[in-house]
Amino acid sequence: MKKAFVAALLILTAMPLLIGVAALPPHGDPDTPVHTHISARYLEEGREEAGADNIVTGVLLNYRGLDTAGEVTVIFTALMAGLAVLISHKKQPEGDAAYDAAEAAAEDAPVRAPVSPVVSFVVRLLAPFIALFAVYVIVNGHVTPGGGFQGGAILGALFIALTIVLGRERTRTLMPRLAQPWMQGAALLTFVGVGIVGGALTGYFLGFPADASLHLARKLMMLVLEAGIGLGGAAVFATLFLQMEAE
Amino acid sequence: MAAWPHWLPLVVLAPLLGAVFTPVVSLRSRHVAPWWALAVMSATSVAALFLVLRVASEGPFSYLPGGWQPPYGIELRFDEFSAVISVICLIGWLAVLYSLRYTEWLREVPKQRIPYYYALLLLNLGGMIGFVVTGDLFNLFVFLEILSLSAYALVAFSGEHIAEMAAFKYLLMGAISSLLVLFSVGIIFGITGSLNMADVATRIGQLDSAAPAALALAMLAIGFMVKAAVFPVHIWLPDAHAIAPSPISAVLSGLVVKVGIIGLIRVYQIYYAAGVLDLHTLNQVLVWLGAISIVMGAFFAIFQDDIKLMLAYSTISNVGYIVMGLGLSTNFSVIGGSVHVFNHALIKATLFLAAGALIYRTGYRTLTDLRGIGRSMPLTCIAISIGAISIVGIPPTAGFLCKWYIALGAFEADQPFFGFALIFGALFIFIYYIRMVNAFYFQAPVHPEILEVAEAPLSMLAPTLLLASLCLIMGILGRIPLAFIEPAAARLLAPLGG
Repeated sequence: MKKAFVAALLILTAMPLLIGVAALPPHGDPDTPVHTHISARYLEEGREEAGADNIVTGVLLNYRGLDTAGEVTVIFTALMAGLAVLISHKKQPEGDAAYDAAEAAAEDAPVRAPVSPVVSFVVRLLAPFIALFAVYVIVNGHVTPGGGFQGGAILGALFIALTIVLGRERTRTLMPRLAQPWMQGAALLTFVGVGIVGGALTGYFLGFPADASLHLARKLMMLVLEAGIGLGGAAVFATLFLQMEAE
Repeated sequence: MAAWPHWLPLVVLAPLLGAVFTPVVSLRSRHVAPWWALAVMSATSVAALFLVLRVASEGPFSYLPGGWQPPYGIELRFDEFSAVISVICLIGWLAVLYSLRYTEWLREVPKQRIPYYYALLLLNLGGMIGFVVTGDLFNLFVFLEILSLSAYALVAFSGEHIAEMAAFKYLLMGAISSLLVLFSVGIIFGITGSLNMADVATRIGQLDSAAPAALALAMLAIGFMVKAAVFPVHIWLPDAHAIAPSPISAVLSGLVVKVGIIGLIRVYQIYYAAGVLDLHTLNQVLVWLGAISIVMGAFFAIFQDDIKLMLAYSTISNVGYIVMGLGLSTNFSVIGGSVHVFNHALIKATLFLAAGALIYRTGYRTLTDLRGIGRSMPLTCIAISIGAISIVGIPPTAGFLCKWYIALGAFEADQPFFGFALIFGALFIFIYYIRMVNAFYFQAPVHPEILEVAEAPLSMLAPTLLLASLCLIMGILGRIPLAFIEPAAARLLAPLGG
C-alpha cells in the first residue's frame, strides 16, 4: 500500500517535470538562447574583455566575480559549520603552550593505524610531483581548464594523504596554529583585497582594468585570486580532516 | 554620504568578511568574538541606514560589481523590499548582544565552539543581506546557500539532545528546496540565456512554449515556500526553531523564514512583468495554503506547553498571513503582507528573546513550570505581553495595521471568506497568548523558587525591551512603512493592469 502510494507520488511528480523539460530548447542547437544571448558575447569578446584565454575562468573571476566570492564563502561556511558541530569538550585548549602540550599528548597515544610501507613510500615519492601539479593547475587556470578550486582540491588531498602516512605531528607544521584562520579564510580575503584594488583602478568593486597598459596588473590580479581560492580550499579540506581525525 | 555608490557591496561583504576574521581575532581569547561581531554589525547597520535613506529619496538603484552592464555581469539591485535589511541589521545586532551571556550559559556546548557560533551568525546575516539586495538569479542562489548552511549549523549548536535531529530534518528539507531553486535557475537560463532578473522578465515573455517557464515558476514557488515554512512544507520548522539557542530562534523565526517570502516576491516580480503565464492559479493556491497555515499554526500552538514550540507554531501562522497577502494580489494585501515581513520580525524577535531570558534565569521552558514568573521577572514578562498583543493584532501595536490591510485586500479581491479566516486565526492566536499571560501572572507557581529568580541581565533585557518598544512604536507610526512600501507594491502589481 505504502509502496504503491510512493510510486504514484513519484509518477505524479515526474510528469510535470518531464513535460517541462521536454519543451526546453534542443541540446547543442546553436540558435538557442543559451548560445545566442550573453554567452555569445562571452565567447566573442571574453578573451579581450575579461583577460583570460580560458573563457570559463573569465566568466568566473571577471564577469561573475561576485558569484565566485559567494561560492568560496559557502565553502568557508561549511568549514565553520563543521567546526561548530565537531569540536568536543576534550581538547582544543587555548594558548600556544597548552595547544602544544595537547598535541604532544595526542602524539603519544598510538591511535594511528599502521600504514603499509609501500603506500608510505609511494605517497612520499609522489608528494612533490602532486604539489607541483597542483600549483600548475592553479597558475594555469586562466589558460587551460583548472584553476583555484581544482588546484586547491589537489593540495588538500595531498595534505590528507601525507597526514595519513606521516602522522599529524609532521604535517601540522604546514598549518601553524596562528596561521590557520588566515589560511582558512584566504579565498574570501583575497577576493575582497583584489576587489578593493580593482575598485581603486576602475571605480567598481571587483572590477578588472581593461586598458592595454594595465594588462599585467589584470593578469596578476587573476593569479592572486586563483592562488587565494586554491590556498583557502586546501586549508578547508585539511582542517576538516584534522578535526575529524582528532575526534 | 547616502549617495556614495559603494555602500551596496559593502553592506553585503562587511558581515561575510567579519565572519572570516572572527576566528582570527579569537586566536588570543575567545571572549573577543562577540565584541568583534558587534562591531561588524554596527558597521553594517550604518551602511544599511544610508541605503534605506537613499531608496526612500530616489527609489530603486543598482550597483554593478566589476562594472559589467547587466545582463553580462551581476547586478545588485536595491528596492523598497530590500529595505528589510534594516530589520536584519537591527535584530542581528541585538541577537549578537544577547548571545554574549546566553552562549556562555549553554552547558552542553564546549566553550571552544563559541567563536564559530559568531562566525556562523555573521555569515547567516550576510547571506540574508546578499539575498535581498541581489538582482541576479544565480547570485540569489549563492546567497541562499550561505544563509541556509549557516542556519542548519546554528540550529545544531544548542547542544540539546534532539538538536542534531532537528538540524538534520531542517537540512534535508532545506537541501531539497535549494535544489528546486537551482534547477529552476538552470531552466530559466536554458530558455532565456540570461540570469539577470529584469532581463529574464522581458525575455520570458517572448518565448514560444510556456511549459518550461511554468515548471520553473512552480519549482521556485515550492522551493521558497519550504524556506518560508508554509503548510504543508512547514514540518521542519517547529523543532528547529524551538531547539535552537534563543537568539538564533529570534533570527530564524524573525528573519530567515522571511527570506523565502522575499524570494517569492522576486519570483512574482519576474513573472508578473513577463506576463506570459496567468498567475491566477498560483495565487489561489497561495491564498489557500496561507489560510490553512494561519489556522493550523494557531491551532497547534494552543496545545503546546513548551513556550518556544508555541512561538514556533505561531511563526507558521504568521507566515500564512504574509503568503495570503501576496496571493490575494491586491494593492492593500500586498502592502499589508510586505509590511508584516518587517513587523513580524520585530514581534517574533521580542517574543523569542523574552522567552530565552525566562529559560536562562529559571531553566524551565514549559508554561506549567513557568507559572508565576510575572512576579519575579516583571520587565521580561511585560515585553512578552506587548509581543503577544502585537501578534494577535490588537491596535495600536505593530501587528494590527498589516493584518487590517490584508483583510481589506481579501474584501477588495471579493474573497471575503479569507478575511474571515484571518480574523478566525487571530482569535485562535488570542487564545494561546491569553493562556501564556494567564500562566505568567495569575496562576500559582508550581515551583516556588521561581518567585526568587532575578530579572535577566542587562545585555539580555535591553534588546528585549528595545524590541518590545519598537512593537508599540511601529504600531503608532504604522503609516510610515505602509507609505514606504507602497510604490514597490504598485510597481509589482502594475502589469496586472490594476
